[in-house]
Amino acid sequence: MNRERQYLRLFLVMVVAGLGLFAAGTDSVLAVQKNIQLSSGDGYIVMADGRPMYIFGFSDISGIVDPQDALAAGQLAANFPAPTIVVDEGDEFYLTLYNVGMLIRPDLFDPHTVHWHGFPQAAPIFDGLPESGISIGMGPQPLTYYYNVIEPGTYMYHCHVEATEHMQMGMLGNLYVRPAQNRLADGTMLGSHEHDNPDYDPDPAQDDPTVGDKYAYNDSDGSTLYDVDFALQMTAFDDEFHDASESAQPLPFYQMRDTYPMLNGRGYPDTANPAPLAAPEENGYQVSQPVSSLVTAEQGQKVLLRISNLGVVHQYTLTTNLGVPMKVVGFCARLYRGPTGTDLYYDTNSVTLSGGESIDVIIDTTDVPPGTYFLYTTNLNFLSNGQEDFGGMMTEIVITAP
Amino acid sequence: MLRNHRMGTRLLLLLMFAVFIAGVIQAQAVIPGVTGTSFNLAAREGYLSTGDGNSFYAWGFAIDNEWMQYPGPTIIVNQNDAVTITLTNDLPAWAGNVSILFPGLSVQASGGQAGQLTREAPPDGATTVTYTFTATRPGTFLYHGGTRPGLQMEMGLVGAIIVRPAGFNPAAPRAYDDPVSDYDSAYDHEYLFLLSAMDSRIHDLLEFKKDLTALDEVNYLSDYFPNYYFINGRTSPDVFSEPFVEWLPHQPYNSLPRMHPGERLLMRVLNGGLKRHPFHHHGNHARVIAKQGQLLASMPGVGADLSYEVFTIESVPGETVDAIFQWTGEKIGWDIYGDPNHPDYAHDCIDNDMDGYDDVTHEWCADHGKPFPVVLPEKQNLAFGAFYSGSPFLGTMGTLPPGEGGLNPNSGYAYMWHSHDEKELTNFGLFPGGILTMLIIEPPGVPIP
Repeated sequence: MNRERQYLRLFLVMVVAGLGLFAAGTDSVLAVQKNIQLSSGDGYIVMADGRPMYIFGFSDISGIVDPQDALAAGQLAANFPAPTIVVDEGDEFYLTLYNVGMLIRPDLFDPHTVHWHGFPQAAPIFDGLPESGISIGMGPQPLTYYYNVIEPGTYMYHCHVEATEHMQMGMLGNLYVRPAQNRLADGTMLGSHEHDNPDYDPDPAQDDPTVGDKYAYNDSDGSTLYDVDFALQMTAFDDEFHDASESAQPLPFYQMRDTYPMLNGRGYPDTANPAPLAAPEENGYQVSQPVSSLVTAEQGQKVLLRISNLGVVHQYTLTTNLGVPMKVVGFCARLYRGPTGTDLYYDTNSVTLSGGESIDVIIDTTDVPPGTYFLYTTNLNFLSNGQEDFGGMMTEIVITAP
Repeated sequence: MLRNHRMGTRLLLLLMFAVFIAGVIQAQAVIPGVTGTSFNLAAREGYLSTGDGNSFYAWGFAIDNEWMQYPGPTIIVNQNDAVTITLTNDLPAWAGNVSILFPGLSVQASGGQAGQLTREAPPDGATTVTYTFTATRPGTFLYHGGTRPGLQMEMGLVGAIIVRPAGFNPAAPRAYDDPVSDYDSAYDHEYLFLLSAMDSRIHDLLEFKKDLTALDEVNYLSDYFPNYYFINGRTSPDVFSEPFVEWLPHQPYNSLPRMHPGERLLMRVLNGGLKRHPFHHHGNHARVIAKQGQLLASMPGVGADLSYEVFTIESVPGETVDAIFQWTGEKIGWDIYGDPNHPDYAHDCIDNDMDGYDDVTHEWCADHGKPFPVVLPEKQNLAFGAFYSGSPFLGTMGTLPPGEGGLNPNSGYAYMWHSHDEKELTNFGLFPGGILTMLIIEPPGVPIP
């Protein structure tokens, strides 16, 4: 269901993109123009133990043209995590950001930004770093970021205004870029691998990068081929910090601890719920946790996990009980390969990420019997939802018969 | 948490402005340190200042008759040097013995007293321990207290050692001795990033109790919970001040990396504390070429063929990482110097050597003349950074409202280099602070020492 939602969103983006298709200047390659429109503000989610939590965050308000309508749509609408952004290498990506203000904290006048974490060759004007550039204040005039998307990989994004506070409060999301290799002509040889692309079209707007063979990176040899992919973002909240923010108290930066470790904005068992979580009463019944972490695959498929950590306190280690290794093929949004072509791939049963790191692992499920398995942090004390001593940073991997 | 309009920006500005302007002009691109083959170190007490106006008791290494410093003197030697380091212990008697460990180096110790890990200097201010080693290989190394190492590192007894490769040429520097034809470790600028944290409860306890057994009554080390985070011994915004300023007598080193487009900046990232610090460098990826003083090479003579690119350098306790950072703005999709047909932004992109870049400015010529892709909001809808020049274009100063900007006098591009455990961007609960500095990419022609 999560995948369908993601593809639906992508489809909507592509529709918008299709309208804006154009050839970029003197370049011989056609670029696809994509747009997304986000609001930034506050809102509520519900933790896995049933506790409501006040957050800052983003929500997707793409397609709303009138600024006043955009502001209204973003009120108390913060999602956690932020809407997943999926773009393709070669895209020209425009991200428009509205600041709708904080309804629960009318005393705050915080501006907001979007920082595409890891964007290569960034310019300060679009880096979303308020100290070196600009950030958008509350009101009906949005700020548009421009990204010439040239490097595939697993990134992440977040607001960088008063980073410790706004990130702890939840302004974090998944962001990844699919490689141009997906759109090679059908039958192209990548080493010994023959690329499959039945809907190939030299115009990238007409070639769905999810039809045919898909790769994590431009590997030239098919070694990052996968069948299904899932973006999983490790995060954690400190409930005392959120409570202090909600009640306009001094913020406990020094005391900050991870009390609600999560994947994609939920603790277990909510992580394995394929549907959006029920809308909380506190934000006027707006769905604010649409992103599931349920991993599903047919036996024999290759599963790409795009894992990032945007926790602001701890590093976390993730493992599975699948009984087969994960192959690390990417790190920090780059193919894990030396400059002279030496593969640095390795098989492992666990990966450890600190804040601001990402990793791409591929799991070959050929030898995994159908069943339900777990992906969980080996920092076992973080398998908890607040006072509940079971839950936290864990999700399910469901392998079905082929 | 802005109760007043852009109070945070103003606070940052106030904190940084007085100390910054001098720093940006005279910051040193060469890593300051002590050179030679024989060094007299002493462990001494002193006080560290933090960006929130606090100060607390600490220990540190001192060179000769100088004050203790945090981190200790950066010891810069050459490959194949026979290096001698003598240590005396000027700490008070209750602090106990002190020694030095040199992870990754093969060290002989003599004199003093036998200790668990190495020879130790008792706190008599007279006994000397002598550590000798031959700097057989180039690289970046740590040295730190070796008697109760966890406590001594926490108290400040830590420093960096840089071993320059044989035949080091300051005019064409390299970090490692890879073949001359291979430029994997060649650089234009080098900067030290010694990352650390401190828990001031430990320091306060020892200052008042003057007794190491006081630590047995608390869990401060076993349940380590730091409140200050440092780059080269300073918290932000003190990192922006010049090196060796008189108001930070025990914290001589700063952190203010600067470079031009197209240049190679060597990051020597060391972790001299008890917890890891993911060091996220805005602007571009960096290539990790060495760890623990070992070039990432599959065999000698092939260069860093096992190197890899990251956007966050994972810095774990006791480890050193060398990485090369570059930035050109390649394929950014618009002209970073503005519309070349506009008289205010007139510039060429001349690529005689056919590498895609302007031969002087390193502008990516394929983007030359491409228009700026968006219309920016009007000024009244924006908040401005203290490091923002007022213009999206490199080297151009735009108009800003009164009191905004001002920390970027050459209108460079500024990028935050910081811990991505954002909790570490604080000084005892106050944001901003901690492990936070800015890389300035200066416009071509701006001198960088």
